[in-house]
Amino acid sequence: MKLLSMILLYCSITLNLYSAHITDFVPQSDYNEVNTHNIEENFDDEFSSEEAITIEKCPSLEDYNRFMTKHNDNLYINILTPLSNGYKNITNEPVRDSIDNFFYNLAFPIRFINNILQFEIIDASEEVAVFAVNTTVGIVGLFQPAQKYFKLKTHKEDFGQTLGVYGFDSGCHIVLPFFGPSNIRDIVGMTINTNFDALHYSHHKIEQDNLETIGIKMFEKLNGSPKSLEDYQHIKDDAVDLYPYLKDIYEQYRTQQIKE
Amino acid sequence: MTNIFIKIILILSFGLVSLNASNTVKKEFNDTFDSIIEVVKDSTLTKEERNKKIIDTINPIFDFELMAKLSLGKTWKQLSKDTQEEFVSLYVKRMKNSYSAKIDGYADEKVIINDITQPKSTRMVFYTSLVGDNDSINIEYKYYKTKIKRDNKKVWLIYDVVIEGISILKTDRAQFSAVLKRGSIESLMQKLRG
Repeated sequence: MKLLSMILLYCSITLNLYSAHITDFVPQSDYNEVNTHNIEENFDDEFSSEEAITIEKCPSLEDYNRFMTKHNDNLYINILTPLSNGYKNITNEPVRDSIDNFFYNLAFPIRFINNILQFEIIDASEEVAVFAVNTTVGIVGLFQPAQKYFKLKTHKEDFGQTLGVYGFDSGCHIVLPFFGPSNIRDIVGMTINTNFDALHYSHHKIEQDNLETIGIKMFEKLNGSPKSLEDYQHIKDDAVDLYPYLKDIYEQYRTQQIKE
Repeated sequence: MTNIFIKIILILSFGLVSLNASNTVKKEFNDTFDSIIEVVKDSTLTKEERNKKIIDTINPIFDFELMAKLSLGKTWKQLSKDTQEEFVSLYVKRMKNSYSAKIDGYADEKVIINDITQPKSTRMVFYTSLVGDNDSINIEYKYYKTKIKRDNKKVWLIYDVVIEGISILKTDRAQFSAVLKRGSIESLMQKLRG
């Protein structure tokens, strides 16, 4: 008897739900009727909360930022792109990728320390494994067997992100010459990053003075430039107003990285 | 005892219902991207033909008109009917061009669905990866439930795409509002006309 009532109950529930599914399972039944004409109203709360990051926090900087965005754009398109194309002509992609990998491997300390600082202990140890494998099997980091064959993941964390995780606000958005969009938090982070750069602390081996450091850094940028300039061009294609557009992309991207 | 049973049955049936809705959308999503990849791979097509085919393929699962409205935020309602219509057509055209130009380079990539969530009864998010040889990009497709019916079921459409945490719609809202703050809707339309 009990079993029968159970079965009946089950049937009635599933049937109910099924019919609910056919009429399409809308718990707020007035949703459909009330807002037929302005469906977009239902989306307002979805975006208004995020709108905070797009607000100009430091209006006094806007003119400077717009000027620097234009200046950088000119630099990327008219000066760096021809330079980068020249470099692209004399190198091939696998070589450029390997050089990129080498520099990425070299920046391991920054990723490791910041994973630790963000209490991501498992990620930090995975980062050690990636570094160990790529430095040895991957021949000083030129190749990435750790990711390719061992299916290990690398966790890109930097000091800017760590500051964000600790609750520091991003502060004013500032467009840096050459580097492009940034904010106070990331500028502070970038300064700390430089101190932990492999080029910096092992300077007995790699560079002799600041000029050489700059030279090596420039080469790293040049090597990555065919890819990054192409990305820039792609992103720019959708711009209606370049400064707020790049600013929003940068801030959204950083917010996401901090969340992860 | 009966109580626990009822609860389990309830939970299971709820699961079935939402699974059912997401399965239909998932099938449609997979079919769409399978056909896009076929189109991208087809070397017999010219670039124009390919772009047109890509747009025709994605068109049924995107709500570009809604995206156009949302991209303007509160300004949308202040516009006249004619301006609204013109804005939508300019926005949709721009969106389609941008999408087909981007997807064009992805011949050897695969789209993998990692997860599907339903934050609200009328919203669904597809968490996907675009996987290439060397890297993979995380892309979220945001769906909402429309009032349009097809085969007696409500149709779900995409209203936003989030690439590596960057929402297409949000960046447009940001740059459009900046243009509107410094100029008028006419200056924004002028820019969209290109």
